[in-house]
Amino acid sequence: MLPIRAASILLITLFAGITSAAELTTEQRNFFESKIHPVLIRECYGCHSNKAGNVRGGLRLDTKQLTLLGGGSGPAVVPGDLDESLLYNAITHQDFEMPPNRKLPQTVIADFRKWIEMGAPDPREKALGEIQSKVKPEDIQQAKENFWAYQKPVKHPLPQVQHQDWAKTDIDRFVLARLEQAGLQPAEDADAETVLRRLCFDLNGLPPTPEQIAFFKKGWQQDPDRAIAYVVDRLLEKPQYGERWGRHWLDVARYAESTGRTVNMTFPEAWRYRDYVIDSFNEDKPFDRFVMEQLAGDLLSKKSDEEFAKNLVATTFLAIGSKDLNEANRIQFRANLIDEQIDATTRVFLGTSVACARCHDHKFDPIPQADYYAMAGVFQSMETFFGNPQSEYGAFQGLQERQTSTLLVMPIDDPSPGGKSLSDSELQRIKDDLEDKKSQLVDLRRSSSNPMQLLRQRAILFGSMSVLSNQIASVDQQGKPYSFCMGVQEVDRPTDARLLVRGEIDQPAQQVPRGFLQVLSNEPAKIGSNESGRLQLAEWIASEENPLTARVMVNRIWQHLLGQGIVSSTENFGSTGQSPSHPELLDQLSTRFVDSGWSVKTMIREIVTSRVYRMKSTFNESFHEIDPENQLLWRANPKRLDAEAIRDAMLAISDEIDLDRPHASIVAKAGYTRVANGQLRLPQDTSAGMMRGPFGGGMGGGRFGGRFGRIDNPLQGEKAKVRSVYLPVVRDEEPRSLSVFDFADSSGIIGTRETSNTANQSLYMMNNPFVIQQSEAFAKRIAEQSSSTDRQVELAFVMAYGRPATDSETKAAESFLRKFIADGASRSKALAMLCQSLFASAEFRYLD
Amino acid sequence: MFTRRHLLQSATMGFGYLAFAGMNAAQADQQAPQNPLAPKEPHFPAKAKRVIFLFMGGGPSHVDTFDYKPALAKDEGKSGKYGGRLMKSPWEFRQRGQSGLWISDVFPEVAKHADDMTLIRSMHCDQPLHPGATTQMHTGTSQFIRPSLGSWTLYGLGNENDSLPGFVSLNPPAGGARNMGSAFLPAIYSGTKIGGPGGQFFQRFRGGSGETVPDIRNPNLTDRQQRAQLDLIQTLNREKLQRDKVQPGVEGVIESYELAFRMQDALPALMDTSRETQSTLDMYGIGQNETDGFGKQCLLARRFVEAGVRFVEVTHNGWDQHRNLKADLQTRAEGCDRPIAGLLQDLKQRDMLKDTLVIWGGEFGRTPAAQGGDGRDHNNKGFTTWMAGGGVKGGYSYGGTDEHGYAAVDKPCHIHDWHATILHLLGLDHKRLTYRYAGRDFRLTDVHGNVATEILA
Repeated sequence: MLPIRAASILLITLFAGITSAAELTTEQRNFFESKIHPVLIRECYGCHSNKAGNVRGGLRLDTKQLTLLGGGSGPAVVPGDLDESLLYNAITHQDFEMPPNRKLPQTVIADFRKWIEMGAPDPREKALGEIQSKVKPEDIQQAKENFWAYQKPVKHPLPQVQHQDWAKTDIDRFVLARLEQAGLQPAEDADAETVLRRLCFDLNGLPPTPEQIAFFKKGWQQDPDRAIAYVVDRLLEKPQYGERWGRHWLDVARYAESTGRTVNMTFPEAWRYRDYVIDSFNEDKPFDRFVMEQLAGDLLSKKSDEEFAKNLVATTFLAIGSKDLNEANRIQFRANLIDEQIDATTRVFLGTSVACARCHDHKFDPIPQADYYAMAGVFQSMETFFGNPQSEYGAFQGLQERQTSTLLVMPIDDPSPGGKSLSDSELQRIKDDLEDKKSQLVDLRRSSSNPMQLLRQRAILFGSMSVLSNQIASVDQQGKPYSFCMGVQEVDRPTDARLLVRGEIDQPAQQVPRGFLQVLSNEPAKIGSNESGRLQLAEWIASEENPLTARVMVNRIWQHLLGQGIVSSTENFGSTGQSPSHPELLDQLSTRFVDSGWSVKTMIREIVTSRVYRMKSTFNESFHEIDPENQLLWRANPKRLDAEAIRDAMLAISDEIDLDRPHASIVAKAGYTRVANGQLRLPQDTSAGMMRGPFGGGMGGGRFGGRFGRIDNPLQGEKAKVRSVYLPVVRDEEPRSLSVFDFADSSGIIGTRETSNTANQSLYMMNNPFVIQQSEAFAKRIAEQSSSTDRQVELAFVMAYGRPATDSETKAAESFLRKFIADGASRSKALAMLCQSLFASAEFRYLD
Repeated sequence: MFTRRHLLQSATMGFGYLAFAGMNAAQADQQAPQNPLAPKEPHFPAKAKRVIFLFMGGGPSHVDTFDYKPALAKDEGKSGKYGGRLMKSPWEFRQRGQSGLWISDVFPEVAKHADDMTLIRSMHCDQPLHPGATTQMHTGTSQFIRPSLGSWTLYGLGNENDSLPGFVSLNPPAGGARNMGSAFLPAIYSGTKIGGPGGQFFQRFRGGSGETVPDIRNPNLTDRQQRAQLDLIQTLNREKLQRDKVQPGVEGVIESYELAFRMQDALPALMDTSRETQSTLDMYGIGQNETDGFGKQCLLARRFVEAGVRFVEVTHNGWDQHRNLKADLQTRAEGCDRPIAGLLQDLKQRDMLKDTLVIWGGEFGRTPAAQGGDGRDHNNKGFTTWMAGGGVKGGYSYGGTDEHGYAAVDKPCHIHDWHATILHLLGLDHKRLTYRYAGRDFRLTDVHGNVATEILA
């Protein structure tokens, strides 16, 4: 969805500069004026020009720009490329027929052929407008001087507090000072079990074991600070730490394994980015480096092929956004792609939304429209790889999948599970098969069956040809499979973008030099004419001079640990966002973060060893009246566990969890294919699937009254025992176990998840086969440890809640078991139902 | 033999007590502990008893549907007020029914019900972008997290069926929890979603018996066993709530279990459409490609309100025609024209339209000037919604935009006014429908809102 344009009058002055018409030779000009232009006027302008009013198919041919832009089906002319030039396609009556019902003379067609092959020289330059921004340099300067988020964070002196002895760390002093000012007091320390449960879930996303609890309690009795420090160090060293915190990052990085939108095609190599993110957190990669790799990994110096491959994978960040492959117009598709990249880059790293400047000056923040197009120039000077490699035979895209792309080949030997070696003879057979299909296609064009039939057969042929072409492209000359990844690469000749009036691709105005946001820069970007500026963009974001990067990241860390951000609008640090509850503390943390070498682990350690982190979540009515949102932190925020933690905790407690990282993903195994009706399509029926959209096979005939049962679907991962971060994430088809508990919408940039409590969740916990099976495994596990009911109940509570049961809880559980067994249920079934009740209860899903 | 209903009645703690268990004493006195979903008397007598809100996500163009602008056709090609060129509607407008309301050809079936409809042609809101405007339309503000219109309605009137959620949202968009959330109101007033974004659920939905939502039935337990298990779960939950004193999240969990338990029986019965006659299915366009999905949603909406559900929202997305207006808007409208007309007709023949308020509208409208040749941009300063049944005038047009349709000029109806009017139609005074939270009384319309009394029948 496009942002609205400003409801203000844009100043447009016309000027006739920036043309390349002057570069045409006399010969070219004459050719156009004598052979092409008269035909266009005579044959096309009637329906396809600005004067025609309501143009057919959105196609206008009366200026050079509009001709190159084309209409709803794509560009009319691609200089030098007859196959891609739909105008040529139409006059030769291939997929289109123009003029309708009549073919132009062969000589005229030959002229067009020649014209396109010579590069379609066209003197009909449209006069371009220039948009003047209403955001003046003084406005930007003023914002820089006055708005907190545009000033570099500085260290502040520690505030004076009354309760000196409560404060253990600097964090505590900053929080306490604000509480005391407001006449509030911090809640007392939570008990050992509560703190340990918090630490285990917050750092690793898994519950503590009874042994860990006993060990921690012993240490806590002697010295709580030391006990915490010890456990924190251990938890930060576990691989589960990266899985937990990597997932937080994947939320904002809009990680998913398919394009989403109308034609939901898979991203079979997306999993590499998932693993890269997890590894980066586990290595405690400096965050500035992490930024650099994701935005410009392809441009960084490298010591080895392995490092280069990893850096390439990192740039998947720019390639993984949702895409509408059904978009017919290539230029529109590209503009949308760039828009998505700008949006993700600025909101994820800078907490600043720039995307509304696509159509007009930002309404609230000092971001002129030109700043957007300065960044658009950077991104348009790169190519994005997200699709499916195709051989020299071509890409045979389906009817709906109108935009295709290929992938990057990495210089390492680590093919995805879909990649198979091919022997010479196999390769030859595939090539023969493809040739055979090609000739079938030619025959089909000549045959005169009805158009629907024709289209259908063609789509089926295209589907299988695409698969074959991909098979050829997926192996090297020895038939060994390549290792592919998604990502980006520079184009040969970087260009500046033109500002687009109201963001419309057919309304280009002046060119804008490549650059970044002025309000966050101290000097203009230094970008050479033969470089895109992306490396500089990455350096500018990853710089300690940038006032937002460190702040935005420490705010995210704070939010995950304390339950709400210091700035609660985690993706919006602009004037419409929320102002920080503790501005000095945010500054303090940001400078510490940078000083620590951008170490995320260090920041986490500082926060969780504070007294603030250790508070109880006890409610206080009078404090609630003063500060209902608990912004000043007079208590710990009770947090509902997120979807992954709930599922992983059940698996951990049942002892069924598989803590090993699975290789790749189910999506990688399925390869490049369309996801429809909640299922991954196998490559061979992709072609048929592509037909389903426009012609709706079968749906209408289905009588209301059939039934759809539970689908055993690998995308749902119901049988999987791996950690949730490794479940497939296909857009709009996320596993129910995750989506039911407010999993991040994988098409969005989600810094803060919603936390609802719904009847759907209750149904899931009561009736879902996975939950039931985990409860049975949990029951079996405790039954193996003890045969005494007392001990079983005790164990069940400790494992599920991380604390011993209260007396009344024990009583309730025991009477439940007794009644159940008396009623004729087996002991094991009764115990399993008790275990399920614990999973289903509120305490299990809350972190107090 | 035990039914779930019996089991529920015999359960130690009545449904609903829980929502109040954690409240402070003053509040508990003020609102005696009773089932918070029990039907409540409105502030004053009113015709509308329930609401079906047909939410058209994306911002349908008013000037191509329900806002007739002859000047726009006349001035086609001239410069628009804020740039761009004015574009006349590709569709003809005609006068419809006895009343002669102007409605375009893009909604031929709905237009047949003109004499039952009030068009509000002077809508406006404060937010120019989809997420903000959508949230404002649902909650009154996009700035804070506030209860949604459905939640306020349910809070005000309760539910007529204690085995079904009182507020149901069919096919809501992803990430839209806020638009059906209860915010600080007790969680029991939040919307329950059926089917996710993108409409896949309803494409696959066939409406047979036993087919409803995932995990609606336990494969192993008898009702009696499950009730015993639920009692244990709730005992644990209540203990926690007592320890925590105030914990809206835990209250929400407790309420959601009771509701879920009852839904297990009620929902499958309700969603079993196999006994609907062929002529009813045809009326909604069920079985036809373009209208099948939305037709099923509309049919379910009728079944839900018939069963006593207070507020049903049905989402039909995809009205964001920045480009390809002619083709895309046509397709969008075709997807819902017959189903909506069918819904109105069905309600009427069941004599339910008189006390069911049907609301149609999106978060904003679109510019009279063209965008990208054949498209229109967002326009929050002027757009159209309509209402039918439930005590609104038939064949009536309220307010208006300027000659081209840019902005509401005649009797502007802000979202706050729209909310106030909807509540009024339900017998609720928007100034009296308040909830005390953190020491302050909150209401849906904040400090705004005027009832558009002219539209009341």
